[in-house]
Amino acid sequence: MPIYTPKLPPIPNLAQRKPPILSLARFDLMRILRQKLGRFFGAVFVGILLIQLTVLYTKYLIATNSQLDQVKGLADHFLPKSADFQASLLHPSMLWFLWFQVALIGGGLISRDTLYRIRPLIFAHPVRPLEYLASKTLIAFGVPFCIQLPFIIVPWLLSMLVAGPNGPVWLITPLYLIPAAILNSMLMASITLGASSLAGTPKAGMGWVIGLLLGPSILGGILTNIFNEVSWMALSPIGLTQVWPRILCGATKMSFPLWPTIIATAANILLWLYIAKRRTMPSEAVI
Amino acid sequence: MISFQDLEVRYGPTVALKGLNLTMQDGIVGLLGPNGSGKSTLLKTLLGLVRPFRGNGTVMGIPLDDASSFKLRSSIGYMPEYDALIEDVSAYEQVAFWGELSGLNLEQARDRSHEVLYFVGLDEARYRNVSGYSTGMRQRVKLAQAIVHSPKLVFLDEPTNGLDPFGRRKMLELVLKIRGELGTNVILASHLLEDVERVSDQLVILDKGELKAYGLITELRHALSKRFELRFLEPLTSDQEERLAEIGNLLESLNGLYDIELKEADASIPFKWAESAGAVLVQITPRHDRLDEILIRAIRGSVA
Repeated sequence: MPIYTPKLPPIPNLAQRKPPILSLARFDLMRILRQKLGRFFGAVFVGILLIQLTVLYTKYLIATNSQLDQVKGLADHFLPKSADFQASLLHPSMLWFLWFQVALIGGGLISRDTLYRIRPLIFAHPVRPLEYLASKTLIAFGVPFCIQLPFIIVPWLLSMLVAGPNGPVWLITPLYLIPAAILNSMLMASITLGASSLAGTPKAGMGWVIGLLLGPSILGGILTNIFNEVSWMALSPIGLTQVWPRILCGATKMSFPLWPTIIATAANILLWLYIAKRRTMPSEAVI
Repeated sequence: MISFQDLEVRYGPTVALKGLNLTMQDGIVGLLGPNGSGKSTLLKTLLGLVRPFRGNGTVMGIPLDDASSFKLRSSIGYMPEYDALIEDVSAYEQVAFWGELSGLNLEQARDRSHEVLYFVGLDEARYRNVSGYSTGMRQRVKLAQAIVHSPKLVFLDEPTNGLDPFGRRKMLELVLKIRGELGTNVILASHLLEDVERVSDQLVILDKGELKAYGLITELRHALSKRFELRFLEPLTSDQEERLAEIGNLLESLNGLYDIELKEADASIPFKWAESAGAVLVQITPRHDRLDEILIRAIRGSVA
């Protein structure tokens, strides 16, 4: 016998309801946290961050401690300088791991709903297709952005604490790197959502993401060699995320120029979001 | 509860629903029809997922148009035919999630999730992941998510699919409880005529996108009250078979059984005829209590 007497709850008042984007995103986040990826990637990212902080503090010590003048030449040789150093706070190795994590998480964002056939049921509720896609975008964008943010803020704070505005990290570095992190996250979100919408299972989604990362990168490398033109490397999404911090910080050494980067980033974001939108329409969610 | 005028739905050149005119009363409505008859399209149209090509209608007083479909969906619960369950999440969490999507706030949705899962009999199992559930438990989770926000109307698509006789019985009892205790109207789409017969008070029969029959089940049965199955001691001669036309229309004869529709609903007529025709009538069975007869005849077009 039920303990609770079945009774009618208050009739939902749509004017007061929480936006379904937030409900969907919260539910997805809960499912992602259960994937237990945090321990491995958490250790990797914390390790990379600690290395960054160590480099930063070493630079500070070398710049301010006369006893270390002897190693200054050696340090200048190995440690990046000025704009290159600012850009290296979003380090390529961190971005590479981030792509891998995004593939593991994002590959299942839409494909898991496809596998369990819950999308038609979602659309049988007061949820619009764009709200559904926006909730997925929020997660796919939010996770990489939140991971990149400490790599910008923590070194900046440490630099400000130990050396003030004249420290190794510029006062305005976050103003360059946060937009770079936003662009990187948008790129990661659009590719993972597009890939996930094409897949029927989370594993296939991961496969799609990895394929979409490696395929264009290999193609870019081949075309670069054939045409002897480095701009083709802009086909690589991994390359794009590594170049944006350098462009925005004004670094000297660039893998490829600005315009191919802008065009390739915009094309990737528009194409994959369009595919994700098309693949998550109610007509695709047949009852 | 639901009313349509000239409702037509098309998928490209294919006409899925052909100008339906119908007004359903409150209660439990059984939706019957063979595969491809338009049942799912009708449900999709009522949920506002498919836009009618022509015609209009209202569901629970809310018009079937783009602007209102959003509002409409918060007043409707839907239990799909297939397994629309999130396997890696507990029943409690997912029912609360569906409640939230229907418009309840998080606290209400969680409270209500406990209540409806008790209501459908999932008790302590509600904290377990759905992946470990039996078919019957899965069906009950689907039912719970459909009623979590106390909709005025709930669509149940094949709710007894894959259930054993005991599970079927429990599910049908729940359907009756939903109507009896929660006062929710129900549209039950099923291929299992016995299920529809057991719980429904009204019946809609669709075939090839056309409305073949609608009415109270008792009324539809009445339309068959002239139908009898006769068995004679000896098979009838061809002359006797021809003479059967005097009392009614012979529909089928098989192995000495004669399926006949009498001109009048009077069981004494075949006895009188047998006496006059020199035949010995040993068995007479009324056929009007069988729902499959209603369905078959409706699809053939002989039930209004």
